[in-house]
Amino acid sequence: MTTLLIENPAGLNHVTPAGHPEQIARLQAVTLALAPLELLHREEAPMADESDLLLCHPQSHIDRIRAAIPDAETTTALDADTYVSAGSWEAALKGVGGCLRAVDAVLGEEVQNAFVATRPPGHHCETDRPMGFCLFGNIAIAAKHALQRHGLSRVAVVDFDVHHGNGTQDLLWSEANALFVSSHQMPLYPGTGAASERGGFNNVMNLPLGPGTDGGAMRNNYTSRVIPRLREFAPELILISAGFDAHRADPLANLMWETEDFVWLTRALCDVADEVCAGRVVSTLEGGYDLDALAEATAAHVTVLMERAG
Amino acid sequence: MSDDKNIDAMSFEEAIRELEQVVTALDRGDVALEQSIALYERGAALKSRCEAKLKEAEEKVAQITLDGNGQPSGSTPVEGL
Repeated sequence: MTTLLIENPAGLNHVTPAGHPEQIARLQAVTLALAPLELLHREEAPMADESDLLLCHPQSHIDRIRAAIPDAETTTALDADTYVSAGSWEAALKGVGGCLRAVDAVLGEEVQNAFVATRPPGHHCETDRPMGFCLFGNIAIAAKHALQRHGLSRVAVVDFDVHHGNGTQDLLWSEANALFVSSHQMPLYPGTGAASERGGFNNVMNLPLGPGTDGGAMRNNYTSRVIPRLREFAPELILISAGFDAHRADPLANLMWETEDFVWLTRALCDVADEVCAGRVVSTLEGGYDLDALAEATAAHVTVLMERAG
Repeated sequence: MSDDKNIDAMSFEEAIRELEQVVTALDRGDVALEQSIALYERGAALKSRCEAKLKEAEEKVAQITLDGNGQPSGSTPVEGL
């Protein structure tokens, strides 16, 4: 089988103000880096519809985002970090739609695994609060889609973005059939993600890492704590919130991971997936703000997915 | 928070006061994502300043020499601290 790459060209029309780190150039860099990977099966992300968003968000949140979208060539601030422009609605809904299509393709055994190259990211968006560059909870919606519409009993979400996935945690807090694991730098935005935050059904595992944590310490933590927990939970699908801002070059954090650490981690997660769920993995882009590191690490991550797809 | 203030010129009290503000802000999570790392880095610099001022004070205490009755009799240079 192959690896599916879902691309979201509409993400290039989600405009943020000049100098904003979550910029159009991120998706351009990722697209360029993945272009040489000829064996990828490529699709363009479809639009999600409101019923998809309602898996995680109330109508009031959906209406608020839509109402904030400006008509003109300008941007509207939703908070100190989070902006929308005229193209943001389509970009965000195709980001969600891309994640759902990836889940359908993997669970339908059309492909072995999938990567969704999209922006804006999603893991900071809470039930009714857009924040941290995020408008909708892309990966949490995908998890609910897999549980409620595909009838899965157990889905795991692993978030290795350097910031705590507070939105995904909020959206899956009371979802007993979803295990959410987040590793992240602490202290850092958004301030949540202490190990003591365990979810409504002991279904959340937070792994805060001190500033300066290198790849070796990350590997030890994942090997001793995360991987055994994933094995024990035995998900039928593993979703990955793939942020590449734990890279040592990233300007928004102080972890010291190298590209080879993302390769190791992707392999480790695919190993668990091979053991417990026939290798079914869907990964989606979250953060990563050094363009060169983002491009290199994303390509390395997707290359591992391709190796595992055979 | 006086972001422009030169940390190297701060007293211990000034540095610890601002450090407490930084830690509170980071804990509360009301700092923008984009500014979070800069705030953390300022916190780290403030912590270094506090540690340096504490060490200076420790050295001054260690330099105090006592006479035969246990009374301070002056100070001598301390090396290797």
